[in-house]
Amino acid sequence: MSRDRLADASASVDENRRQVLKGLGLAAFGCPFAGAAAQAATAPARHMTDAPVANVASAEDRVPFFGKHQAGITTPRPANGMIAAFDVIAETPDDLEALLKLITNRIAFLTEGGTLPELDPRLPPADSGIVGPVVKPDALTITVSLGSSLFDGREWLKPLKPRHLSRMKKFPNDALDAALCHGDITIQICANTQDTTIHALRDIIKNTSRHLTLKWKQEGNVPVILPPLGGVAESARNYLGFRDGTANPDSGDEAVMERVVWVGAGRGEPEWAVGGAYQAVRIIRNFVERWDRTPLKEQERIFGRTKMGGAPLDKPEAGEFATPDYAADPEGKLTPLDSHIRLANDRTPAAAENTILRRPFNYSNGVTKSGQLDQGLLFICYQGDLEKGFITVQRRLDGEPLEEYIKPIGGGYFYTLPGVRDASDYLGSTLIAAVRKAP
Amino acid sequence: MTIKHLFGATALSFFLTTSAFAESATLDLVEPIAEYKIYVSEKLEKLVEDTTAFTAAVKAGDVAKAKALFAPTRLSYEAIEPIAELFSDLDVAIDSRADDYEKAEADPEFPGFHRIEYGLWEKNSTAELGPVADKLLADVTELSKRINDLTFPPEKVVGGAAVLMEEVAATKISGEEDRYSHTDLWDFRGNFDGAYKIVELVRPLIEKKEGAFLKTVDANFAKVDTILAKYKEGDGYVTYEKLTEDDRKVLSTAVNTLAEDLSTLRGKLGLD
Amino acid sequence: MSNPGSATRPSRLMPLAVAGAAALAVAGGTLFYYAAKTAKGPEKGAVYTVTVNAKGCEPNTLTVPAGRTTFEIVNASDRTLEWEILDGVMVVEERENIAPGFRSSLTAKLNPGTFEIACGLLSNPRGTLTVTPSASSEAEKTKPPLKAFIGPLSEYRVYIGLQSSALVKDTQKLADAIKAGDLNGARLAYVAARLPYKRIESVSSRIADLENRIDPVAAYFEKREDDPGFAGFHRIEYGLYSLNSTDGLAPFADALVADVTALKARLKEMKLVPEDLATSAARQARRLAEDTVPNGDNRYGFTDLADFTANLDGMEKSVSLLYPLIEVAKPDVAKAVKDGFADTRAALVMSGNASYQTVDTATRKKLSAAFTTLAERIETINTAIGME
Repeated sequence: MSRDRLADASASVDENRRQVLKGLGLAAFGCPFAGAAAQAATAPARHMTDAPVANVASAEDRVPFFGKHQAGITTPRPANGMIAAFDVIAETPDDLEALLKLITNRIAFLTEGGTLPELDPRLPPADSGIVGPVVKPDALTITVSLGSSLFDGREWLKPLKPRHLSRMKKFPNDALDAALCHGDITIQICANTQDTTIHALRDIIKNTSRHLTLKWKQEGNVPVILPPLGGVAESARNYLGFRDGTANPDSGDEAVMERVVWVGAGRGEPEWAVGGAYQAVRIIRNFVERWDRTPLKEQERIFGRTKMGGAPLDKPEAGEFATPDYAADPEGKLTPLDSHIRLANDRTPAAAENTILRRPFNYSNGVTKSGQLDQGLLFICYQGDLEKGFITVQRRLDGEPLEEYIKPIGGGYFYTLPGVRDASDYLGSTLIAAVRKAP
Repeated sequence: MTIKHLFGATALSFFLTTSAFAESATLDLVEPIAEYKIYVSEKLEKLVEDTTAFTAAVKAGDVAKAKALFAPTRLSYEAIEPIAELFSDLDVAIDSRADDYEKAEADPEFPGFHRIEYGLWEKNSTAELGPVADKLLADVTELSKRINDLTFPPEKVVGGAAVLMEEVAATKISGEEDRYSHTDLWDFRGNFDGAYKIVELVRPLIEKKEGAFLKTVDANFAKVDTILAKYKEGDGYVTYEKLTEDDRKVLSTAVNTLAEDLSTLRGKLGLD
Repeated sequence: MSNPGSATRPSRLMPLAVAGAAALAVAGGTLFYYAAKTAKGPEKGAVYTVTVNAKGCEPNTLTVPAGRTTFEIVNASDRTLEWEILDGVMVVEERENIAPGFRSSLTAKLNPGTFEIACGLLSNPRGTLTVTPSASSEAEKTKPPLKAFIGPLSEYRVYIGLQSSALVKDTQKLADAIKAGDLNGARLAYVAARLPYKRIESVSSRIADLENRIDPVAAYFEKREDDPGFAGFHRIEYGLYSLNSTDGLAPFADALVADVTALKARLKEMKLVPEDLATSAARQARRLAEDTVPNGDNRYGFTDLADFTANLDGMEKSVSLLYPLIEVAKPDVAKAVKDGFADTRAALVMSGNASYQTVDTATRKKLSAAFTTLAERIETINTAIGME
């Protein structure tokens, strides 16, 4: 396993983690979510985009809700995830504060787990009941982000909008469906099982109906793999059969995350936004029947990786985590210049400026009007600068050969709120304070 | 797929490929590819001519004539779609659908054939279509020029047969393509003709080794022909709404089988 | 690829190769090999001397191993001559315009087979050249895949098809004007009909039998203009410009229409290989530089400048189809070739539409030099893209 460390400016290194994992073998996977603080000293968390490992997830897995940042961003992906986008009914800062406090309370309960209250049976039950009388944490994370329209529609919020937050514009290959785009707020829900994510969604809808109307949602999952032989974790595959997330920055390295993901002071963002991040969501349909009828070599040229191993094309035997040496292949003889991974990240120090943290899920919805599978990628990424991050990377990908096989149909840009520090705090408290402080 | 990619792919296949297809077999493709370019050039000439008449009718406010010319004009475009699509900017300008725009039909960006189709059938009017018609003619003319200047990449030509079937399978069999005029059967005719032309041109190269394969392909094309023939009316076809559910299923199966089979054509000819 | 290197002509390969080597030192081993090979200068192989006298070649039968071979042709006759290696009626290599008493050398890369050699006057008997298989010709069979050339060859085929159709159409117009007795119209039609012919001359000139019927100059016939064999374009030109009449030209025009129609059919059957795209253009450039530009082909109408421009268009078409490949393999070669075309075109434009009679020797020399440079640059292409 050779994984070249990029120049210091780059934020794409996860070497130590892999090495340690290899050394520890399966031991490292034991209950990856629980007691993160205590465990961090001895065994590292898993790489965020590693495929979830079969038989190690547990309903007792608990991801701490309180912290400087929200959970569900640098947290390893569990097997299931979804994005639900809502429009917000809130005419005054008080309305918005009430909504945010309500959501905070629900998330605090759902992610911690506990016994549901029993109500008078002549009333509707307090809960959908789909996970039974005792809610287990099941690695649940719920991550709340705000859309541009929330700010734009409210004079008292407008001045506080994060500087890069905008309504997602159409890229050339997009066929955006208005019914799958934008929204005032998104809630990302991730957990080990689908029952838990759906339970959480229904809980939130039930409890926030005064303030939220559901606009669209997309569920997805990550293929669970058997425990890896030799202990080297693998990145999960997308529905095109290629590994996704191999070149992600190390979500376990706080310094890297500060640089890539989190908005700190000094980025020119409003003060309330410190500790948050930009979220870009894209629902990208894959034309899987057509893809399956495309020659393997062409598939590999389009991605720039081998399909089975995931190795870069210039080092086909080197394994998934080898760093391609594009400098030695300036004409694209080995890795075509317009291959997906080369366009997205040409591995120059300049490209390190545009690093994003990807956290995608595969989706499989049903059948199109033409009788083909409606499958694709629920692409989610996080970054401290939306313009330098997702937007720049996507512009580089515009016109890529892969476009023949994919069609982005929905999504939007959102600002993920800073974390909730403790039980006395709530999601968006700094924003509400800033609104109140404004003249 | 952009032109930028084509040249990349051409150069790449030259340097990467080590599998040795016989020299003669490979250079035997020169003639079919050259013949295909001539076929495409003729279709383009017809497309420009027909689009000139169609857009003139639109600009003259003659709704009935414009409606009559819509489907026949598209026929040439549909036959050469795999090559036309190589210029994605023009493909979008000429043949994109309302779904490609966030505000669908109401989107001011919505251009080309289907924007005019929408006006003619849904509004029964040529109002506001003048500039759209001018742009369409300019785009079709530009497409013709660009294709004539293009060196056809062999893998795109051979792969084009499958691409045409993929288009039908993924987005046309549902009747979404010409959703206002329901002239989809005309488009199918163009798509099938274009795909069959490619098969015909490479047939001599694979006939000996791939007799069984060609037999299956021919049988599926024949199946399509039989069904389309049932719906013929004058020089063209009846509205797509008249296609029976049973015939739609047979068409769909034939198209998917053709897409599966024709996707192997490139490999059979040593073009990955 | 023919050999650029007679001793009198300064080779441009050297500076090119040096620049190439510097650029490629970073790019890796395979390409550096080519640079190194070029830096030594093209290999000449064994040298055979052939003497051409008034009656034919001496020796008249040659056997050589496959690969690069150099022929020294000695002109012992009293006429300027051309010497050709023919595969059936196809010209494999040729050297033109060898003055009496002079010698010229030609290096050819020959594949195994039996060839004929042309020996001076068209009426002289042809010699036989037998090429036997060699180690290098066996190794040649494993050369790089040809897939990348299918697109360019197809495109060139379309071009040849379009131009040969135009040639038939325009020659028919010439015949019509002649039959109508329209001298002025026939002269215009003559110039027009030669353009498509010249655009494809780099390949059509390889079909020796038709070439000798369509475009021979009087000098290649024993009795020159009075020779009964003198036919084709220049016979018509002779009538239109020297005799100032269409009289008696109709049979020649009809024969020409038949010949260009046959040419169109033969070109459709012709199978080009990747090397041809560059080598036929290079050969054409050399022919222009060494013979046509210094002497002029249209000795009665002096319409040569239009011919040259059409020649250049056709050469540029075939070579430009290789640009995407050359640019990837050796950008400096691509640039040199493009510059070569631009310079040659500029030299032609400077001469305008003048009657070639009025173009002085100095200007012809400059034009000739431009075509020589262009030929040398085009000759580096096949090596650059790994075809040799």
